[in-house]
Amino acid sequence: MKKRQIIAAAMAGVMVLSATACSSGSSSQSTTAAGDTAAAGESAGSTGGQTLTVLLSEEPNEGDALTMMLNNWAEETGNTLDVQIIAYDDQLTKFPSMAKNNDLPDLIATTRLHQLYPDEFVDMSQYFDTSMFEESALKIVGKDYVSDKITGLPYNFTTTCVFYNADAFEAAGLEAPTADDPWTWDELYANAQTLMDKGGVKYGFAADVSRARYDILMYANGGSLTLADGDTFKVNVNCEENVKTLEDFVAANQTVMPQAIWSGATADNPADYFKNGDVGIYLSGSWNYSDFANTITNFDFALMPSPMGTVSQSSIIGGSALAVPENAANKDLAIEFLTWLYDADNFKTYLQQDKGLSSLKDIIYEPDTEDGKADYEVIQGEVEYVTDTFMVDESSAWRNYKDNEYRDYIKRAVSGEMTAQEALDAFANELSESSGWAIAE
Amino acid sequence: MHKKKHSFAHTKAFWLFVAPALILFTIFFIVPLCLAIGFSFTNYDGWKTMDFVGLDNYVKMFTDPDFYATLRRTFIYAIVNLPFKVILPLLVAALVTSPLLKAKTLVRTFVYIPVLLSALVAGITINWMFGEEYGLINFLIESAGGERLQWAMNPILATVVISVATNWVSIGFNMILYIGGINNISPELYEAASVDGANKVNSFFKITLPLLAPTIFIVLLLSTVNLLKEYTLVQGITTGGPGTSTTYIIQYIFNQGFTQMRYGYASAIGIIAGLIFIVIAGIQFKLSNGGGEV
Repeated sequence: MKKRQIIAAAMAGVMVLSATACSSGSSSQSTTAAGDTAAAGESAGSTGGQTLTVLLSEEPNEGDALTMMLNNWAEETGNTLDVQIIAYDDQLTKFPSMAKNNDLPDLIATTRLHQLYPDEFVDMSQYFDTSMFEESALKIVGKDYVSDKITGLPYNFTTTCVFYNADAFEAAGLEAPTADDPWTWDELYANAQTLMDKGGVKYGFAADVSRARYDILMYANGGSLTLADGDTFKVNVNCEENVKTLEDFVAANQTVMPQAIWSGATADNPADYFKNGDVGIYLSGSWNYSDFANTITNFDFALMPSPMGTVSQSSIIGGSALAVPENAANKDLAIEFLTWLYDADNFKTYLQQDKGLSSLKDIIYEPDTEDGKADYEVIQGEVEYVTDTFMVDESSAWRNYKDNEYRDYIKRAVSGEMTAQEALDAFANELSESSGWAIAE
Repeated sequence: MHKKKHSFAHTKAFWLFVAPALILFTIFFIVPLCLAIGFSFTNYDGWKTMDFVGLDNYVKMFTDPDFYATLRRTFIYAIVNLPFKVILPLLVAALVTSPLLKAKTLVRTFVYIPVLLSALVAGITINWMFGEEYGLINFLIESAGGERLQWAMNPILATVVISVATNWVSIGFNMILYIGGINNISPELYEAASVDGANKVNSFFKITLPLLAPTIFIVLLLSTVNLLKEYTLVQGITTGGPGTSTTYIIQYIFNQGFTQMRYGYASAIGIIAGLIFIVIAGIQFKLSNGGGEV
C-alpha cells in the first residue's frame, strides 16, 4: 500500500515537471498568387511554380506594404506564398527550435533574429551591392551586432515618433508643438492632463510596451544603459538620471497613462486605444503611420516632434530586415524575391504604400497630400534627434546578454511592486553578471 | 511445464496491455524528467550553449528572492482556492443528483461545458469579460452608474478574477467525479436513515460525505496539483501581472526558460518545484490514509 502511495505521489510530481513544456500559438496561411498562370515565369530569372515560405511577426494590417509586395511578386512570377505568423516575443523561442529541426522558413521579416543568431543567416553582401542602402539603416537594422556581416537587408526603416489626436487638441484648446518650439516632457504630461479634462479622451498619453519607446525618455534626460570604457563597456542602467526618468514615468502612469498596460496587467495594445480615440498623445513609431492613415476615420491625427528632456530631444531609429536562413529549403527563391523587391521601381511602389523612411539612398517616399507632407517632415526630423548615447548602447550589443528582462523590471516599477531604484539596480546587476561589465560608479 | 507456459503467456499478455501506456509514459514523462535533471546542472540556453555548471543553478535559485516570492504566492493561491475547488462541485453534484431537480441532464451539461474549453480560450473569455477598458463587467457597472473596477491593476482583484476562472473551468469535471461517487452509494442507506428519522441534511453529512471520502480525496489531490501548476489560464487572463503579482511557479519557470532562455536554471526550479509537490501529495496521502478517510 505504501509503495503504491509513493508511486502515486511521484506521478503527481512528474506531472508538474512535465508541465514546463508549453508553447504559444502560431499560425500559417497559404496564399496562392493570384492564380494567373499566364504571368508565370515573366520575372527575370524566376523558375515559377515554387513556394516561398515567409515568417512574419504579426498578422499584416490592411494595406501592409510588405504583404502587398509579396503578393505582387507571387503574381508576377507564378510562385506561391506560405506565410507563417509567429508573434514577436515567441520568435525568440521558436527560431532555435526551427533551426534545430531544420524547419526554417525561406525568408524572415525580423527586427532582431538575424542579429542575435548571425551564423544562421546568409551574408547579404555576397548577393547585393550594400552601398545602395542608407548607412545608418544598414548599420542599425541589417548588420550583425558584433561582426560586419550583413545578415539582413533593411526594408522597414523606422524612427520613434509621437502621434496626437488633432480633434482632442482642438477641443482642449491646445496647439501642437512645432520643430522650432517643441514641448518639454513636463509640458507633455501637463497637456495630457488638459486633454483628459477638456479634450474628451480617457487617457492623455500612452506609450507602446517597448523598452525602445521608454528609452527615448531616458536618452532625452541624459541617461544611457552603458558607458564606453576603452574597448569594453560599463553598465550605466541605474545611474541617477535613469532613476529620475523612471520615477517620472511611474508618476505619469499613475496620472495620465493607462497604467494597466505598462504594469503588465493586460496585453491590450495602446495603438488600439489611440485608434479608438481614447488616447490624446501616443508615443510609438513611424511604422504605424501607414496603418493609421488607412484605418483612422473618426478623427484627425497628426505627428509632433519628440519632446525635450533635461538634456535634449531624442529618438531611436531601427526597423525590420529581410533575412534568409542559411539552411532554408528555398534560399535561392528568397534571394530572387529580394532582388525583385530592391529593384528601384518595385521599392518605390513599396515605399509609397509604406509611407515611411527609405532604407535606400536614392529612393524616397513622396506624400501626395499637404498633411502627409507635414507628417513626413516630422518623421524625417526625428532621425536628427538620435543621441550619441543611443549609438554607444547599440555598439555595446547589450541585448546579446539581456533583453526582455529590462522591460519586465520597468513593468514591476510601474506596477508599484518595486521602486524605480530597486528595479534598475536589479537589472543593472543582471546585465553586469551576464556581460561581465562592471557597474559604473 | 504446462503451468510455466501458461504463466509466461499471462506475463506476455500483461506486458502487451501495459506496453502502450508504458511507452507513452516513458517518452512524455520519464525522458523529459531525466533531461530536466541533466539540464539543471548546465547553463543550457536552449540551443548551442550547454556547459556543466555543477550546483550553480540550485545555489542561484535558493538565493533568489523572486523564487521564494513566487513560491509563496503560488501556495497562497492554492490554499485559498482549494476549499472552493472541493466544496462547490460537491454541492452542485448533490443538487444535480437530487430527485427534486428537474432537467438534470441540461444542468449537468451547462456546468460541464467549461471543461471542454481549452484553458487559454477560457482565460481569454474571462479576460474579455473582466477587461478593464473594454470588458463586459465594467461596462455593466458603468451603465448602472457605478465606478469601473481595476480588475487588472489591483493585484487582489486580478487574483479574484483568476480564482473565479479556475473554479468555473474545473467545477464540471469535479462534479462528474462526485456524481459517480454519489450514485455508488446504496439507496437503502438513505431509506434506513429516513426510517430512523434523519432529514436530508443529516443524511448528507452522516451518509453521503463519509462514503464519498475516496472521491473527495481524489478531487483534493487533483485540485491541489492543478492549482499549484496553474499556468495557461493565468496567461490568458493577466499574463502574470500587474508586475508579477499573479505570476505563479510554472509561469516563473516558463519565463526563465523560454523568455530569458535559461533552460538550465528553469530545469533546476522545475526539479525543486516537482519535489515540493511530491512532498505535498505525499502528506495528503498520509493524512487521508490514501483516501480511506478524510
